[in-house]
Amino acid sequence: MKKLLSLLLTLVLVVGLLAACGQDEDKNDGDTNTPAAEDKEEDKEEPASEPDKEQEVVIYQNKVEIHEQLFAFADAYTKETGVKVTVKTSGGDSPYAENLKAEFQSDRQPDIFVIEGMGGYNTWKSQLGKFDGDEWIDLTSLEFAIDGDVIGFPVAVEAWGMAYNVRILEEAGVDPATLTSQEGYKTAFEKIDSMKEELGLDSVVSMAAGPDMRWVTGLHNFNGYLSAGLEYGDRSVLDKLLAGEADEARLTEYADWVELLFNYADRGVLLQGNYDAQVGAFAMEKAAFVHQGNWIDPWLAENGVDFDMAYAPHASVGGEHNAIFIGAPSYYVLNVNSENLEATRAFLNYMATSEAGHNYMVNEAKMIPAFTNVTLTPDAPLSANVATWVAKEGGAYTWLQNDMPDGFGMGTIAPIYEAFGKGDIDKAEFIAQLISKIEEIQ
Amino acid sequence: MYGFELGDDNMSRQSKEKIYFWLFLAPALLAFIIVVIIPFFMGIYYSMTDWTAIAGEEATFIGIENYKSMFTDTAFHYSFIRTFSFTIISVLSINFIALSLAILVTREIKFKNFFRAGFFIPNLIGGLVLGYIWQFIFKSVAPEIGEIIGFQWLQDALLLTESDTALVAVVMAFTWQYAGYIMMIYVAALLNVPQELIEASQIDGANFFQRLRNITIPMIAQAFTISSFLTLVTSFKQYDIIIALTNGGPTSEFAGEIVNSTEFLAVYIYNVAFKYNRMAEGQARAVVFFLILLVVSIVQVYYNQKKEVEM
Amino acid sequence: MFNKKRVINILLTILTLFLFIYTIFPFFVVIINSAKPSFVINTDPLALPEQWGKLIENIKIIWTKPTIRYAQSVYSSVIITISSLTTIAIFSAMAAWMLVRTKTKTSKVVFFLFLSGMVIPFQVVMFPLVAEFRMINEAIGLRMLRTYHGMIIAYIGFGSPLAVFMFHGFIKSIPLELEEAATIDGCTKPQIFFKIIVPILKPIVVTVLIMNALWVWNDFLLPALILGVGQDIQTIPLAISAFAGSFVKKWDLIMTAVLMAALPIIIGFLFGQKHIIKGMVAGSIK
Repeated sequence: MKKLLSLLLTLVLVVGLLAACGQDEDKNDGDTNTPAAEDKEEDKEEPASEPDKEQEVVIYQNKVEIHEQLFAFADAYTKETGVKVTVKTSGGDSPYAENLKAEFQSDRQPDIFVIEGMGGYNTWKSQLGKFDGDEWIDLTSLEFAIDGDVIGFPVAVEAWGMAYNVRILEEAGVDPATLTSQEGYKTAFEKIDSMKEELGLDSVVSMAAGPDMRWVTGLHNFNGYLSAGLEYGDRSVLDKLLAGEADEARLTEYADWVELLFNYADRGVLLQGNYDAQVGAFAMEKAAFVHQGNWIDPWLAENGVDFDMAYAPHASVGGEHNAIFIGAPSYYVLNVNSENLEATRAFLNYMATSEAGHNYMVNEAKMIPAFTNVTLTPDAPLSANVATWVAKEGGAYTWLQNDMPDGFGMGTIAPIYEAFGKGDIDKAEFIAQLISKIEEIQ
Repeated sequence: MYGFELGDDNMSRQSKEKIYFWLFLAPALLAFIIVVIIPFFMGIYYSMTDWTAIAGEEATFIGIENYKSMFTDTAFHYSFIRTFSFTIISVLSINFIALSLAILVTREIKFKNFFRAGFFIPNLIGGLVLGYIWQFIFKSVAPEIGEIIGFQWLQDALLLTESDTALVAVVMAFTWQYAGYIMMIYVAALLNVPQELIEASQIDGANFFQRLRNITIPMIAQAFTISSFLTLVTSFKQYDIIIALTNGGPTSEFAGEIVNSTEFLAVYIYNVAFKYNRMAEGQARAVVFFLILLVVSIVQVYYNQKKEVEM
Repeated sequence: MFNKKRVINILLTILTLFLFIYTIFPFFVVIINSAKPSFVINTDPLALPEQWGKLIENIKIIWTKPTIRYAQSVYSSVIITISSLTTIAIFSAMAAWMLVRTKTKTSKVVFFLFLSGMVIPFQVVMFPLVAEFRMINEAIGLRMLRTYHGMIIAYIGFGSPLAVFMFHGFIKSIPLELEEAATIDGCTKPQIFFKIIVPILKPIVVTVLIMNALWVWNDFLLPALILGVGQDIQTIPLAISAFAGSFVKKWDLIMTAVLMAALPIIIGFLFGQKHIIKGMVAGSIK
């Protein structure tokens, strides 16, 4: 059956190409009158005709915002070591996961690609190579490991909490040190809300739950239910969720937090705002808080925002909190079929251990490296603040949102937040819907 | 002179014709078979396996397992209903506006070529980009306009957060893009209406609407068939505009579940395959989507052709 | 009587003008916003930009950034669009003519096969297509992915159903006598087709070319699969998507890029407008 199919295919193709390619050549003859065009044509033929004689490392990554910086870093690496590193990026409106699948179908698979957590691991298991004895492994605690095998290189450290505008809180007479519990937040929100006009605010919190922002609610905010108030690395609530069990008492406390945030948010931003709208409201000092991570630093810098800001903990569930959510957003992983495994690992090791690598991560890409040997400190306001939380004893809650089943956060539960935000369902219904979705998991 | 002449006199006329027949068909047909037909059957096969689309992982045949889940999937049923409503509304709205535009620009008005070109221009913009532009208009520009003309409702409305207004918004953006194109088909048809018929009816004292009803519309029946077929198929398959404009949202409630009100079938299939990473199941929904589209278009063409004859 | 007609005409012109403004308005929004800083766009969407110079600056940024490779993508887009259009038009016309003039069962079946292609949603075939292209490379060593010819064959395959359908409709109305006379004169089939039929097809060819030009030039999903985002060969939509980050949208640059992508095709359209409209009007229905 299979043989027959490929035979048929071959036959069909050969005949088809005689026709199609003949036409194609005619076309190019007619088109390449200008010398410039001819040159370019030749450039393109080259890599196609002699595949990978020299060592080449292809990295296929998903952070559009660091593409340029990584590109430059790879370029410098090539100049220094002679190993060619090609950076390919896909993100934005072309979902990475699906492009990656196409990439694996193509003739040149990437040597390094990106997974975000257990979801990606389960999808790509069969293609993943292992790191073993690489120098960087001893320099981090954030590697992605399964049963003791190191699989993923942490791309960066990221964190989110409740980012606040220092000046506004001061003017409102709110002490950030009181923002450690739902009660503390409630008092602060009420006070700021009553002074909105004199402070020039549209709303207290810049929160988003609309169709474009489902990662904020379904992943980040929901992670509060999974890990807030627990020891770093405690996966008990997540494990229960994966077994289809909801912790109703915890969910009820958590729903109070969601309600509090929604009540003091601007309705427009909450329901239909995009990233620009949400971060913009905070940046233009129209909101005192924003529910976003330190990845908004480059956006703020680009738009000339320079007021003081810092993070307060999320009071996602009851009790006192003194930690923000810190983790690695994604991991570089190895393609097990790569022909350049050694060169690939050398490149990643170079990034983690060399000065040039540190400079790229901290000063160029504006990230917080996950490695203890890095001495450079980020100059962007939120990233700098994250660094102090990282240093604090017990200052971190775990990132577990990427270990939920595929699509559960953004696809299954995020719409429930939107409906709650709109007022289509009340808090009891919100909790009931979440429970029923969690119970469907098994 | 033209290359591939078959000059052998001994060859029978019939077999010569046959060879020419296949020679002329070959390029288009082969490309079509390679690119559409073979993948189509591969897709049907994959829909009955546990295919993951990851190279190197073999697909195992599991029968109709992937087709079963759609019967209990509320979101799929809802998407189905919404896709139909969207299709019906846009077919009506696009054809109505396109025909009105066509009537306007075929009358003796000034600069009619200029207007024809202008109405056609939205067609030159790709769906993703167009969706972003309209998202921007509905979110930021509309309230601003409401403020300028002092229309409170528009000023306060969050048009893309209610399921009905969002649906209307998608229809508006799609109409904006597509009406100019359909207009051209109607213009062509209108210009084919014999002038004598219209003059004769004018002499008989028929007014504009009587003429429209009794002469123009029957004379352009064929244009109706083509236009409604094109708008139907294009609406049904709509993907780009929705992704950029509403991203499937806002939410709405259906059968006790929270659902996405503009997640039409094409978008829904995509999400099953990629958001939930269930490739084979997505493939199965796509096959069903194809069957529905097939039935709907056959019914539509059949019905319209019957009507054409009656008129 | 005479006056009434004039009044109606003036009113109609005004109505047309109104609809026209509605049509043009979104373009106006794009243009004024491509010359503003990113977050002013959201807060002040209707204000005129303070400095139009920003637009030129943005164009320069997009054109010269090595990571966007805009100039190169224009080149690739032009190659792909022109090659695909020519081949779609010629091959579909050839096929359609044969299908109209051959009255056999096979011919009918083939025509319906093409028609069925019009209702096959892209979603059903896209992943199997990529898998198939890979199999072709494994089986006979011919690279289809990430190449110009693979891309163009894909466009012929997806473009031919509608083109064949349209040519089919048009050719049906061409009287058979012309061809019969030519056959008597001893013309062969290819001669008849290229000498007699092709010149008659001109209006419908224009329609087919325009429809496909719009599609191929603006297409995103298909090149994303065949050529890949961030690969050696990039079309303009791929290049645009490469810098339109998923969360951080640089709206000023995106608007500028949109403008730059649409401009060639709008200018092309305005330039040949009279011809194109005539062709479309004559071709779209027969």
